[in-house]
Amino acid sequence: MSRLALIAALLAAAPAAAHYGMIIPSDAMLSQEDGRSVDLTVSFSHPFEEDGMILERPEAFTVTHAGETTDLLGDLSEATVMDAPGFTLTYDVERPGAHIFAMTPVPYWEPAEDAFIQHFTKVVVPAYGDDEGWDAELGLRTEIEPLTKPFGLWAGNVFQGIVKLEGEPVPYAEVEVEFYNEGQAATAPSELMITQTIKADADGVFTYAAPNPGWWGFAALNTAPETMEQDGEAKAVELGAVIWVRFEEWQ
Amino acid sequence: MIRTALAALLALALAGPAWAHRVNVFASVQDAEAGEEVVVEAKFSTGRIPALGEVVVEDAAGTVLATYPLEDGAARFPLDRAAAAGGLSITVRTDDDHEGYWLLTPADLGEGGS
Repeated sequence: MSRLALIAALLAAAPAAAHYGMIIPSDAMLSQEDGRSVDLTVSFSHPFEEDGMILERPEAFTVTHAGETTDLLGDLSEATVMDAPGFTLTYDVERPGAHIFAMTPVPYWEPAEDAFIQHFTKVVVPAYGDDEGWDAELGLRTEIEPLTKPFGLWAGNVFQGIVKLEGEPVPYAEVEVEFYNEGQAATAPSELMITQTIKADADGVFTYAAPNPGWWGFAALNTAPETMEQDGEAKAVELGAVIWVRFEEWQ
Repeated sequence: MIRTALAALLALALAGPAWAHRVNVFASVQDAEAGEEVVVEAKFSTGRIPALGEVVVEDAAGTVLATYPLEDGAARFPLDRAAAAGGLSITVRTDDDHEGYWLLTPADLGEGGS
């Protein structure tokens, strides 16, 4: 095999993009004119390339509203998302305010990285003109606490958040940023631009300005102190804190 | 008809001066001792509760059915299902001239349709 063919084969076999837990709502800001429910599409994917991976039924799937957390795990319906097993859910929104949907997946064994991956994923959907509770911390093992409302942003605005692990800020945490490239409308001039990487500051605060409207995923990655066994060997566990943020087109 | 009312109210809301302190309105039907009642809740975008104001209730044709005082961001009134069959438009005007609305659609009232 020529060197060129080898490179092409490698590229085809292994997407350069990062893994993301994804919860994408049908409506980023539910108004009363939009109806009384929101549809959620739940997956584990490479969002820029719309390349799905297997998402097993999660350990937990919840909604938090006005300080109360409700278990929605039994309401997830199996679905095919980006040509891979995922889930959908229609949630009836009964009250105004921010609704934070969160998923704790089972750890995913990724042979290419010789590690398990577990992405604690969330998205915030305000309802009926009320966004109270948008910055509530859920107490996930690792979590991005938004400093900017994670909705109602214009493309070009910055989004800021604090990376937390076990409830504490993570200094200089690495945060991967990737665009959900629906319909493959965007192209990247370099693989390095499919997933961009930024670092938080000494207080765990990161900042990113999205150049384009749409859904953007932020994944703060840390390694768990414990290992998990695979084929009789102890393997590392990557803990990802993921939040999905919608940026709107300036009108 | 309720959509006509919605359009008119939306135009009013857009013409209003104060998005920064808009008043959010939400209404729901709850069981009460004397039957069903509509519970109206209002609050500003800051999260503060408007102390005083009025609640104007219109039917789907835009006919004013009643007005009620808003106190501490809330009002309650009995649900007349016959009058509300096509839905209700509920407008809150606060004493400092902010306004918002909620539409109780026939579907919200369990009447079917939307």
